[in-house]
Amino acid sequence: MSKPCPLSTQIPGPAVGRPAIELKGLGKAFPGRDVPALDGIDLAVPKGTIYGILGPNGAGKTTLMSILGGLLKPTSGAACIDGHDTATGRAAIKRILGLVPQEPAVYPTLTARENLDYFGRMQGLSGAHLQARIQACLELAEMAEHADRRVDQFSGGYRRRLNMVIGLIHEPRILILDEPTVAIDPHSRSLIHQRLRELHAAGITILISTHYMEEAEHLCQRIAIINHGKLLVQGTVPDLLAMQRDKTIQLQLEGDPPADLEARLEGISGLLEVHVAGRCVLIVAEQPDSLVAPLMRAIHERGLGVRSMSFGTASLEQVFLALTGSPGAPK
Amino acid sequence: MMSSLAKFGASIAKEARILGRDRQALILFFSMPVVFVLILSLSLRDAFGDRPGATFPVLVVAQDSAEVGHAIIQTFRANPHIQLALSRTASEAQARQWLIDGHYRFVVLVPAGATDQAKRRLGEILASVPPELRIEKPVEIRVLADPAMRADYRQVLESSVDLVLHGVEMRLAREQVEQTLRATQGENHMPLPDMENARLFGAVQGETVTKQGRGQTPSSVQQNAPAWTLLAMFFLTVPLSVSFIKEREQGSLFRLQTMNVPAWVVLGGKAVPFFVINQIQMISVLAVSVHVLPLLGGDRLDLGNAPFALALMGACASLAAIGFGLAVAMYARTTEQAAGFSSAMVMIMGALGGILVPKAVMPPLMQDLANLSPLSWGLDGFQDVFVRGGGITDVLPEALGLLAFSAFCHGVGILRYQGRI
Ligand SMILES: Nc1ncnc2c1ncn2[C@@H]1O[C@H](COP(=O)(O)OP(=O)(O)OP(=O)(O)O)[C@@H](O)[C@H]1O
Ligand SMILES: [Mg+2]
Repeated sequence: MSKPCPLSTQIPGPAVGRPAIELKGLGKAFPGRDVPALDGIDLAVPKGTIYGILGPNGAGKTTLMSILGGLLKPTSGAACIDGHDTATGRAAIKRILGLVPQEPAVYPTLTARENLDYFGRMQGLSGAHLQARIQACLELAEMAEHADRRVDQFSGGYRRRLNMVIGLIHEPRILILDEPTVAIDPHSRSLIHQRLRELHAAGITILISTHYMEEAEHLCQRIAIINHGKLLVQGTVPDLLAMQRDKTIQLQLEGDPPADLEARLEGISGLLEVHVAGRCVLIVAEQPDSLVAPLMRAIHERGLGVRSMSFGTASLEQVFLALTGSPGAPK
Repeated sequence: MMSSLAKFGASIAKEARILGRDRQALILFFSMPVVFVLILSLSLRDAFGDRPGATFPVLVVAQDSAEVGHAIIQTFRANPHIQLALSRTASEAQARQWLIDGHYRFVVLVPAGATDQAKRRLGEILASVPPELRIEKPVEIRVLADPAMRADYRQVLESSVDLVLHGVEMRLAREQVEQTLRATQGENHMPLPDMENARLFGAVQGETVTKQGRGQTPSSVQQNAPAWTLLAMFFLTVPLSVSFIKEREQGSLFRLQTMNVPAWVVLGGKAVPFFVINQIQMISVLAVSVHVLPLLGGDRLDLGNAPFALALMGACASLAAIGFGLAVAMYARTTEQAAGFSSAMVMIMGALGGILVPKAVMPPLMQDLANLSPLSWGLDGFQDVFVRGGGITDVLPEALGLLAFSAFCHGVGILRYQGRI
């Protein structure tokens, strides 16, 4: 019934057999909009990885995931999951795929348990197995004691946790999560991270979209950054970090600096820019490491202490901003 | 297939649970048709056909207690539509006041000595006194009517008084002739024919002819019970379509689309609880019409003797309403759109189909247009049973029409559901 995926696995990466998810020239144009929501995306998610899709608001993350979930049809290109084309292999895909939508998709007047029970049955579970899965999911979400409360009495964070575990009820081998950690507190977020790592350890392939850079940096093995429907870059986290050489030194002073500090520092040779704001000092240089010694000397001469200093570590955020442009000024 | 059936069952249970938690809506679903039927059947009952026990207050002031007064009283007393009050002594001014105060709608004044005066005039007539020389004038029986009274009713009452007086004239004349004969020919006078029991014409009896053939016009309750049941059933399209769109807005419908759940399970799981509600609505309206209305002075609904035909009509009407609701849900973008559109459409179909205004009082063109409305088919089907004593075969055309409408709406809805992607 389902044709084999037409895509060839030519995208480099440590793929174990065929990729879990593969996109080839994937495009989606909504009628009546001149800019396509997705524009020729090529991507491969190797089996067993946690793969992050990074992108600002409106980048096309939800559109991409909706196509993978069979909720939208691509207008060009193709998407395959475990070798099944999303256009023709829906039934096979549905058995192995779990999709966690961005907005909690639950019945507000049913309890958490009733929601899990209903969606579990819709996934074809029943009897003792279903009950065991419901219990497991409630525990995964750490909400066993709230299982019999109506969802419309839940806080937003609990609703998101429930939303996530509903996607796990049928133990999918491939899990797609659309911004699962938006608008939740640090505890809930670290709980979700922990669960995702456990699932990863159990061999589940995870595709997660986010616009939190640290989340992607700490959780994901591979990352793709998209903006305006285009794939800007993809690779492992170290690969991406290597792309952006950091040229700044950040300093935190012990006490308030004298007014002439900025002028004094500008005299150091090789320094491109210096900004002093309160006790924070930001320096931009072509070769930051060669500036560390003269900088410290200059500060100590003024009788000031340094609380902290950092340089040389690029963050994914910087990579992201460099690629997608600063917020409010889209390219 | 087995697993689809299990999913179907779970969907029904889920929907029933969600509906069951919306107490206010449930109360509304069940009380609305019952309240409508009670109010409308009681307030509209005089506007419809024959009703034994209808009360139409008439006062007869009979200052004359002989033949004339007696005959008028007897006639009104025999009329089932009239609630008769009698007075021997009231003055005309008093009677007028009662009429103005709304105690009576129609008053007949029989003056004192009416019978004697009539007899004297009869004597002159029989004695061939020429009109210009007659001393006695015709007896004046006066009638007073409430201005709010419909002109045709008033005409009917006046004619019936006239008719009574004709009978009295006949009887008095016969008596007078007999007396004269006895006086001239002695006790063995020539016998007179018994005119009263020898009418030349049979009693006039009306028969209502409707389009469907011979039959009665529906009574108030026969119109209102099925009409409001149908309207209530179709009004369920509002919560049905709204709940569907809510599910889409909540995302649970999309979630289901990422699972192996056939469209018929999703749609059917929603439809079944609403079907059950529809059936309970129908049963409760019929039960109220049979058992409660008579207690409040209304007519009792005669259910006919074709329970299966009624059940068939109820099922088909419900399927039509559900199909309509699903189709609306599939095309409306927001809950407001769905609620506004479906309630407006139901009101239009109801008005057109003889729910709000009975088809029997519509002009012919509107009666033809009425046949476009599925609610009209439903109403015809129910009235086949209630009014015309029909059975399964009589309601079959209407039932099939509703089924076809339902199938059409379901088809349109399912196509949209699948194409929506
Ligand atoms: N149904 C739709 N009709 C028309 N345009 C749409 C539709 N859904 C999304 N879009 C457009 O497609 C683009 C991508 O939207 P998408 O929801 O995929 O972004 P996203 O990356 O998920 O953003 P966010 O981080 O805000 O969730 C946006 O410009 C959006 O306006
Ligand atoms: Mg999104």
